[in-house]
Amino acid sequence: MSFESLLLSLRLAAIVSLLLLAIALLLAAWLAFGRWRGRFLVEAFVALPLVLPPTVLGFYLLVAMGPRSPLGRLWSGLFGRGLAFSFEGLVVASLLYSLPFAVQPLVSSFRNVDPRLVQASALLGVSRSRTFFRIVLPLSFPGLVTAFVLSFAHTLGEFGVVLMVGGNLPGITRTVSIAIYDSVEAMDYSGAGRLALVLLLISFSALSIVYAVNRRVWSPWTAR
Amino acid sequence: MVAVDRPLTPPLLRAESAPLTAHLRKEFRDGRALTFALDVAVEVPPGFTILSGPSGAGKSTLLDCLAGLTSPGAGRIAVGERVLFDSSAHVNLAPQKRRVAYVFQSLALFPHLTVEENVAYGLGHLPLAERRARARGVLDSFRAGHVLARRPGEISGGERQRAALARSLVTDPQILLLDEPLSALDEELRAGIVEDLRRWNAARQLPVVYVTHSREEARSLGERLIALDAGSVVAQGAPQDILARISARDGMGR
Repeated sequence: MSFESLLLSLRLAAIVSLLLLAIALLLAAWLAFGRWRGRFLVEAFVALPLVLPPTVLGFYLLVAMGPRSPLGRLWSGLFGRGLAFSFEGLVVASLLYSLPFAVQPLVSSFRNVDPRLVQASALLGVSRSRTFFRIVLPLSFPGLVTAFVLSFAHTLGEFGVVLMVGGNLPGITRTVSIAIYDSVEAMDYSGAGRLALVLLLISFSALSIVYAVNRRVWSPWTAR
Repeated sequence: MVAVDRPLTPPLLRAESAPLTAHLRKEFRDGRALTFALDVAVEVPPGFTILSGPSGAGKSTLLDCLAGLTSPGAGRIAVGERVLFDSSAHVNLAPQKRRVAYVFQSLALFPHLTVEENVAYGLGHLPLAERRARARGVLDSFRAGHVLARRPGEISGGERQRAALARSLVTDPQILLLDEPLSALDEELRAGIVEDLRRWNAARQLPVVYVTHSREEARSLGERLIALDAGSVVAQGAPQDILARISARDGMGR
């Protein structure tokens, strides 16, 4: 049933992009404003999913989540079931897979905030963390939208990692991209076509939002 | 080195009002090669002190050091008895703790906040009603009360300068640093703002460091002048005397 796979993918993308926003916010703040000189190593690690074949990433994730791995054992100790081939496993895998799409826009918009604004805030007696939430974050609004939308769209369309880590269990791990693959395998071109069109429309809308906020077609702080 | 000293007659010093004293050295290197060194000893008594010198003389670096935005390699900075920086005693107060007001050339008003929110921003420890009352009070004394509900992008250049001054002074600082904040304005507007600033400072007598390129401003504004060149103080004293000597030396009297 193709509708089920679409709902599953939407649910996965929503959960992952919300979780990622929180994780990426902290990570990007540290990457943009931290003082440790080895930060570039972390940046390179975060960017790995951009260049690794999804099957390689999926393979390592599968091993890391397996029943004999520390993570797998911890998970089954806590929840009484395995992490691989489950929806939760897909969430964990997608967090890593989409991490650069959330972190990179945030880092670049944090770095784009005029340092004089941050200094002005400090001179007015305001702490670094408060400055981050009152000045840096609101002024990085386009970056926040970009991070959320890109990680949503990227998670929605993932294929290789899902196949490796999730398998193809209807209603649990069969996402829309896998359903499309199955339909084509079964010569059901009209079913595949419908799902493909939905993905195409969602992706195009998502990218339109990203480009609109970054060109200030729409922004909450209209300064003109 | 021209050293002209004139006894200053401090008019009714407030208990808080104290001179700024600083001697410091800050080096900039490219690899190992020394590219620039700021090495100065300055004293800024209550009232207006002009800081002048050509571009690249180290004026902004000096202000950044005083404000704690960058750290000198060595030296000591104090306002009266209060030590802001002392390399030998390992004292280096964060900008948050220095009570230094600093208006940048770019002003750095927060573009997403209204003028009133900008001015009240540094008063986060106070209850909302008091924050707003104080912000409005300072904005009124700088004749910018009429723009408090607007954002910086929606007001004129002069109004922005007034808002930036109000924001930096509302937190009750001990010294005020102005890095050519009025350079973009025409003469008349600038004179009006300086007049308001003088009136505001008449009762408080803060040491004010005012960076300018303009000899006219140096002559008319300051009770004292510090001339910087290539990272060193070349003259410190009464503006008329220094300007006269510089003019005589350069043969460009004006």
